[in-house]
Amino acid sequence: MSTAGTAKKIVGTFIIPVIVFLILEGLCLSKGEHIITNAKSFDNFIVYVAIVMITTIALSINLNSGRFDFSLGSMAALSAIIGAKISYAIFGGGKGSALCMLLVTIVAGLLLGLISGSIYVLLKIPPIITSLGVTLIYEGVMYTITDGKYLMTEVQNSSMAGFVGTWIYAAIIIVLVLVLTIVLFDHTRFGFDYNALKSGQKVSVNTGIKEVKNALICYTICGGLMGLVGFFNAARNTTINGGQLNFGSIAIMFTAFLPMFIGSYISRYSNEKVGFLLAAICMSMLNSTFAVFSNEITASMQSIINAVLLVVFLIYLNNEHLLRKIFTK
Amino acid sequence: MKQRVTKVLGLLLAGVMTLGMLTACGGKNGDTEGGKDTSSASKETVKIGVLVADVSGEEAQGFRSYYEKYIASNYNVEFTYTDALESAEDEKSAIEKFASQGCKAIISLSGSDRAQQIETCEQYGVYYAVASGVLEDEQFETYKGYEYFVGQVGPSNATEFEAGKAMGEFFKNQGTKTVAIYGAFIPNPMHVYRLAGTIVGLGDTYGGTDDMNGIIGQIFQDQTLDLSKVEGDTEVVAYLQGYGDTTTDELNAAIQKSPEAFLSVGMATTFFTQSLNEAGIAFSDIDSFTQANGDAIENGKLTYLAGKYSSSIGPVFALVMNAVNGNVIRDDEGNAVSISQGYLVATDKATFDEYYVSDNGDSPIYDKATLDSIIGDNVTYADVKALVESK
Repeated sequence: MSTAGTAKKIVGTFIIPVIVFLILEGLCLSKGEHIITNAKSFDNFIVYVAIVMITTIALSINLNSGRFDFSLGSMAALSAIIGAKISYAIFGGGKGSALCMLLVTIVAGLLLGLISGSIYVLLKIPPIITSLGVTLIYEGVMYTITDGKYLMTEVQNSSMAGFVGTWIYAAIIIVLVLVLTIVLFDHTRFGFDYNALKSGQKVSVNTGIKEVKNALICYTICGGLMGLVGFFNAARNTTINGGQLNFGSIAIMFTAFLPMFIGSYISRYSNEKVGFLLAAICMSMLNSTFAVFSNEITASMQSIINAVLLVVFLIYLNNEHLLRKIFTK
Repeated sequence: MKQRVTKVLGLLLAGVMTLGMLTACGGKNGDTEGGKDTSSASKETVKIGVLVADVSGEEAQGFRSYYEKYIASNYNVEFTYTDALESAEDEKSAIEKFASQGCKAIISLSGSDRAQQIETCEQYGVYYAVASGVLEDEQFETYKGYEYFVGQVGPSNATEFEAGKAMGEFFKNQGTKTVAIYGAFIPNPMHVYRLAGTIVGLGDTYGGTDDMNGIIGQIFQDQTLDLSKVEGDTEVVAYLQGYGDTTTDELNAAIQKSPEAFLSVGMATTFFTQSLNEAGIAFSDIDSFTQANGDAIENGKLTYLAGKYSSSIGPVFALVMNAVNGNVIRDDEGNAVSISQGYLVATDKATFDEYYVSDNGDSPIYDKATLDSIIGDNVTYADVKALVESK
């Protein structure tokens, strides 16, 4: 590859995070602070990157293949509840609780994902409808297990606090998830089939690719990833809301829309998963800036700002060719 | 063959009916099973509906345990609880459901729209009482003459204000210069009054005033605490309220501002104990005396707790039982009863234990013997008031 080509890739990959950093750091400096104010805020920063990146990857796996999955949030919450209940029953909140919950939550997530995928495959109705049904079922199960209460005793212990009390564990999980997903989706037979199906479903099926098997694996991986998200959310919030009925759990996945579009843009210049990581870093910088301005910008205003940014970015993506024409005249 | 079958069936039916009659005659009036009062065996179990907004908090669970485990095992009553009620509409439909299920009375621990709750109970002819809180003064004046409104027993609004003020003063007297505040569920009146008191206790003004009514009016209007309006001795570096998807971010933002103390007007001990302990920030709450809060005082950073005890909702049950049994107690002017309860304060484990141990499990402060002194046909307003004020 030419030097110019490499330079273009590097610039294309990092331009959004750099611009976001400069703008947000400038805003924070105007208040005499920085995006990262102290060690605690750095811990929060990395944990948030992990949550957003993993949710974004999970959302994109099925969405890239035209399967909109509303059940991601309910999978995260239900798997976390299962993990919390089992780990508390074994360790009673003592040493090893967090590791046990992490493992059980991932396994529960994988199973829930597989069930969700199986329902889609068996019913053969549009995935958006299937996922709505699955969401209601999972939320109902959550409500039954918890009596609609917040789960607190099971997740409030020093083991769980220790997990999100440092950036190290979150960073390790970020690296592991990145490596695993890159290997799975870019360097295995499953990944090649997935990419082929994504590009041309009918042709791929005609060439012998087993679409059903591929879809089931996708749903299962999504479930496992959302299990991880459920674990992080439980550790970070120190509660799990068991009373999320009537699609209350969907909000968990909405944090991933803006980073998914940003990541997709960055993926023109680098690996898609790396794009999602950089997009998650951008979102985390925004979240940390909101923390600096928390007395001026309320939580509801933050939601509005996030929504406006999403719309602005979509407008840009849809009119990119027009903008290019204007600026190259 | 057919005749023989008919005969056998007839004999079986006759046998079953005879056994049934023998069983029905077997009980005696006045039998006591495990301490349960069945003195009037002919009386059916009194069904009482309980409206709750919080199903997870330590205080809410303590109240529930007292009613369902202690009261239900000592009196001929059955409590039915709602799920977490989130709105006035939820409360109204819960009351309608209770009425259709044959509930004779409703005790409310939910405050989205108490005026509508009273109106709905009046419509359905179901007795209604407020526990662990009170109506706004103007509302009480409006509804105190309603036939089915039995009354309210809980900290008055002035008591809530004083509880917040005492908490603020505690930290101010310790020399605290910067605090973060959790406003719990503003505009819940109870939390508004506590918050106003906290501001005054810290030596601050809100919108230029330190008058209770002046601050209350502004907070109700703002629906939050506007930090730009807070001025005075103690700097409020962060404020958050409610609990939802964004709360963790808001709490983290507050912690990042490194306040010397985190003051809460309710439920911080339920949601934030672990995070605040980890952050090493001294915190306070107006909540209840529970095991978890005891641990937080002993091993964590909980330094001030103003609380109720679980059986403090006993007198409301007594009022309701009297009403259902035909003795609707009225105050001296013939209106619904309104009695204020105070808070107990603990700033160390020894004081905490003093209150916690005395109101626990099978031996609550309002035990059966105590409640029996205010349940009966001849009990008066003066009897109930004297007992509540003595605790």
